[in-house]
Amino acid sequence: MYQVASGPDDGELARRIVTAGARRDADAEAELCRRFAPRIRLYGLRHLRNDAAAADLVQDVLLMTLEKLRTGVVREFDKLASFILGTCRQTVIDGRRSGGRRERILETFAPTLDSATEDSDTALDSGRLESCLENLPERERSVLVMTFYDDRPADEVGAALGLSPGNVRVIRHRGIERLRRCVEEQTS
Amino acid sequence: MSGLPCPSPIPEAELTAYWLGELEDSDAADVEQHVFGCSHCSSQLQLLVRLGVGIRQVASEGTVHAVLTPAFVRQMQNNGLQVREYRLRPGTSVACTIAPDDDLVVSHLHAEFAGVERLDLIFEDPDSGAQLRMKDLAFDRAADEIVLASNTRYLRELGTATRRVRLLAVQEGGERELGTYTFNHSRYRSGSGA
Repeated sequence: MYQVASGPDDGELARRIVTAGARRDADAEAELCRRFAPRIRLYGLRHLRNDAAAADLVQDVLLMTLEKLRTGVVREFDKLASFILGTCRQTVIDGRRSGGRRERILETFAPTLDSATEDSDTALDSGRLESCLENLPERERSVLVMTFYDDRPADEVGAALGLSPGNVRVIRHRGIERLRRCVEEQTS
Repeated sequence: MSGLPCPSPIPEAELTAYWLGELEDSDAADVEQHVFGCSHCSSQLQLLVRLGVGIRQVASEGTVHAVLTPAFVRQMQNNGLQVREYRLRPGTSVACTIAPDDDLVVSHLHAEFAGVERLDLIFEDPDSGAQLRMKDLAFDRAADEIVLASNTRYLRELGTATRRVRLLAVQEGGERELGTYTFNHSRYRSGSGA
C-alpha cells in the first residue's frame, strides 16, 4: 500500500553491529537505539495504552534486537525495521518477561539504552497549547478535547455530539492542522 | 523534527485514524510497517501523539473552555477528576465559585434545541458590556442541554462578579434567543456551598 522509506543507514547500522560482535560498536548501537526507541514507544502506546508498559516494551525490544544482531541471528540487514516491528508484535502478544536472562542483557546494554530513551518524547509547552486551543473554532475544540482526552474514535465522538463520524473526521482533521500550525508558529 | 524526506508520506488524517483504532486491521498493519521504517512519518505520528497528550493534560486541568457532553463529564469524573457542576434553566441564576480542589467547573445549560440549525453562545459582563461570542457550537439537537466547561484559570482569577450567558439559535434571516443564564461568581469560602 505504501512505499516504505527506510532510512538509508539502517542496513549499514545493522552490518556494523553484527561485524563488531562481542567487541561492540557503541556508536552504531546508540544510533540504532536513538532511531528506533521513539517508534517502539509509539507502537507500545498504540497497543498497550500505558506509558510504563510502553517504556518496558522499548527496553525489551531494543535489548532483544541488539542481542540478536550481536549474535548474528539477524541476516537481512536491510530489513532491520521489519525485524524490530516483528519483535514488537511478538513481545506484545507474548507479554513475556524472561527474568534472569533479561537482567543479564540489560546489564550489558544499560548505558546504550539510557542515552537512547532520553528526550524521546519531549512534551509540548502547555501554555502555548492552551493558547492555541483557545483560538480554535468552537466545534474543533470540542471535537479535539473529546477525541484526545481518552483517544476516542470518530463514531463515539459523533454519537455524543450528534454528528456523523465523517463530519467528526473532517472537523478533527481541520482542528489538528490548525493546532499543529499554531504550535509550530509559536515555537519558531 | 520531521526526519528524512518520505516519498509517500501518510496523510495526517490516516495517521490519526490509525492512532485512534479506526482502520481495518490490514490497513493499520500497513501504516505501522511504513511508520516503523520511515523517520519522517514516525516523527509526524510522534507530533500527533504529543498534541493528543497535551490536549488531554489541558482538558484534565480545565484550563481551556469548551462545550462538552454530560457523558463526557461523567467519564472525567470516573477518571478521578473533581468536577463542580451547575445546572440552569433558561432565565435562572446561580451563585457559583471554584474550590481549590476543583479540576473542572461545568455548567449544564438547559434549553430546547429541536430544529436549531446553528447554536451560538454569548458570554457577557453585564457591568462593562464586554462580550465574547462562541460561534457554531457542537451540540446534539436531541439533547435538552449543553455542557459548558469554563477555563479554571480564568475562574480562579475572577473575584466577585456577575457573568451572563445567552444561547442563540442562528438561522437564515436572524437569530432567536433560547435562554439567558446568570452566574453570580464569588471567591471560594470553605463551607459556603456555592
